[in-house]
Amino acid sequence: MTSTPDAAVSLTGVTKTFGKHVAVDDLVLSVPRGSVYGFIGPNGSGKTTTLRMIMNILYPDSGTIRVFGAPLSPAACDRIGYMPEERGLYRRMKVRELLVFLAGLKNGTDIRRSVDDWLARLDLSDWADKKVETLSKGMSQKVQFIATVVFQPDLVILDEPFAGLDPVNTEVMKDAILELRRRGTTVLFSTHDMSMAERMCDFVCMIFRGSKVLDGTLNDIRDTYALDTVRLRIAGDGAFLGSLHGVDHVNDYGRMQELRIDAAADPQEILRAVMLQTTVEQFEVVKPSLHDIFVRIAGPAAKKAVQEGAHA
Amino acid sequence: MRKILRFAGREYRAAVKTKGFIIGLLIAPLLMSGSVIAIILLKDRVDTTDRRIAIIDQTERMAPELLRRAELHNTYSVIDTATGEKVRPRYLFHVVETDTARSSDQYLRLSDSVRSGALYGFLVIDSNIVHPGADLDRAYVTYYARNTALDDLRNWISSQVNMHLRELRLRDAGVDRSAVEDLFVWMRVEGRGLLTRDAKTGDIDAGREATPVEAIIVPIGIMMIMLLMIMMSAPGMLHSVMEEKTQRIAEVLLGSIRPFEFMAGKIVGGIAVSLTTSAVYILGGIIAVTYLGYEEYIPFHVLPWFLVYMLLAVIMFGAMSAALGSTCSEAKDAQSLSFPTMLPAIFPMFVYLPVVKEPMSDFSTWISLIPPFTPLLMTLRMSTPESIPLWQPVVGLFGVLLCTLLFVWAGGRIFRVAILMQGTPPKFANILRWALRG
Repeated sequence: MTSTPDAAVSLTGVTKTFGKHVAVDDLVLSVPRGSVYGFIGPNGSGKTTTLRMIMNILYPDSGTIRVFGAPLSPAACDRIGYMPEERGLYRRMKVRELLVFLAGLKNGTDIRRSVDDWLARLDLSDWADKKVETLSKGMSQKVQFIATVVFQPDLVILDEPFAGLDPVNTEVMKDAILELRRRGTTVLFSTHDMSMAERMCDFVCMIFRGSKVLDGTLNDIRDTYALDTVRLRIAGDGAFLGSLHGVDHVNDYGRMQELRIDAAADPQEILRAVMLQTTVEQFEVVKPSLHDIFVRIAGPAAKKAVQEGAHA
Repeated sequence: MRKILRFAGREYRAAVKTKGFIIGLLIAPLLMSGSVIAIILLKDRVDTTDRRIAIIDQTERMAPELLRRAELHNTYSVIDTATGEKVRPRYLFHVVETDTARSSDQYLRLSDSVRSGALYGFLVIDSNIVHPGADLDRAYVTYYARNTALDDLRNWISSQVNMHLRELRLRDAGVDRSAVEDLFVWMRVEGRGLLTRDAKTGDIDAGREATPVEAIIVPIGIMMIMLLMIMMSAPGMLHSVMEEKTQRIAEVLLGSIRPFEFMAGKIVGGIAVSLTTSAVYILGGIIAVTYLGYEEYIPFHVLPWFLVYMLLAVIMFGAMSAALGSTCSEAKDAQSLSFPTMLPAIFPMFVYLPVVKEPMSDFSTWISLIPPFTPLLMTLRMSTPESIPLWQPVVGLFGVLLCTLLFVWAGGRIFRVAILMQGTPPKFANILRWALRG
């Protein structure tokens, strides 16, 4: 996606190096206003560095970053709520006191009412006057999230917001993010949870080794891939599936298997071959999932190919 | 600026609302003045066990007089007549014959008696001491005991021996003591400050009597209070920044404030803590000293300099502490950096004695113009009765100001790089590189 004037965030030719290591390489990015934008990529690919540059915590070596059409500035950063991946809270402060303090640093208005609203919404009202050190990990994560959104930012940046959350709190966090979008807030978050990105994001961007490798809506991305995936549910063991003619790769989930087939292979032929060996309970030809696309780009095979390319 | 003040407000509240701060506020001056209080309280608490001393008098003229003087001491100085309480030990001398053939053996036997507790010590008076002539090295009086260096009895013996020697020498010269009684009167030299003329009345005063309180205790006390102010704020910044980094609070804050605002907030909070502490100590000190009737010793003219130097010192050492705290990834890093960070602040404690003794010496002047030492040492010099030329505190202030700016500039650069860096130990080369290159 190219930079647009009404983008919430736009990066143009942004590069950041640490010594000899290029963390982000000539990155161009545009996050549309009001969207939920997923930022994916393997560990060490440059996601956190990019988010820190958007927050003006790190400075790019080259390139420009604009937020709501204006160059980065302290005032622009005050419109952004930021929840870093490595996050902590002052353990000896009381929850409400802490939230008021953090919102005050963002020059927020009507802070106390907003703090009480969010505490009630995330079921933490009873903990408002308790010290942070008495909270469970899940509660602390929710307080972190409230601290990020309580001053009503126009843009929220969340670095791995679902990391370490149990399913109940994951749902709470997901609902809160979607509510922000309904209010018109732009949400940019990085995640390793591909299914969450698939379900929540209007746009997805993937970076790998500092460079952008995917960018667009989920449908746009999947459209660049052919119908090369067969999703199967069979009776018995699927160990034989890898030896079938035309099957490049098998992803065995136990009760379900995903086969990646080569471009010349006929899915019907493969179905017939499977039916000769076992009972087929489900058969579906689909485009690859985001997870599969991620693995194709950043998995061991891709890394090996990159290393071989580098040696050649 | 508003963010700096908000952040500083949190830092201030977090510091002063702790029990540790309140206890420290009360205990620190007690500990620092504890030695003085202990000396005052314990000055009369002496060991009153009788001292048995053997005398080997090779002159055969000294021992009787020493026994007589010891008897006088035992009669008049041992018992407090008001309370009837024994306040000093009795001196019980006895004469031992000189064993000239085997003096070493005799001294060893006496030493064993001291070790066994039968004797407290023994005294050997050489035969040549009455008229040593030019050969002073051969004339000696030696007092043997367990610990003669700090023994009050040695001073008493020295005084009595010399008094009697004077009498013997006069007698041997045929001079009647009564004709030269004044020879034995010891005159005290009174110390006074310089005379001044009263601007209103035109009267010339007599010059103030110099006292150890004014010359030593007040200057050192003021310097110690400033050191206390620095120590109650700067090292805390190192640890709190380290905690914010290791507990991953720093990046949450950096999403809202710039690194410089982060560091500035810490320093302003530290200044507020120091001002609170100094307000308590200075006002409390002034009230206490005035109540005790010693207000004439308070150098009020130094107070403005004290406050300015103290604020700059807190900023200077606070900036370095915050910067170095940002380089620490674990508690042991902070522990190992604490002492070197505060060493420039503590260093004046190693040199304050020669400075307070001779505040106008070249050494005192130059060392008090080295910026990291200036706040403590210049204030110390200015608090003495000496008149320090005005250019010296002014030049010192200029130097401290420049040094503070340098520390804040370098500290800001170190802080910005190091605060997000996890797992990199705080090596000197890295810190220097971050300070120079940012």
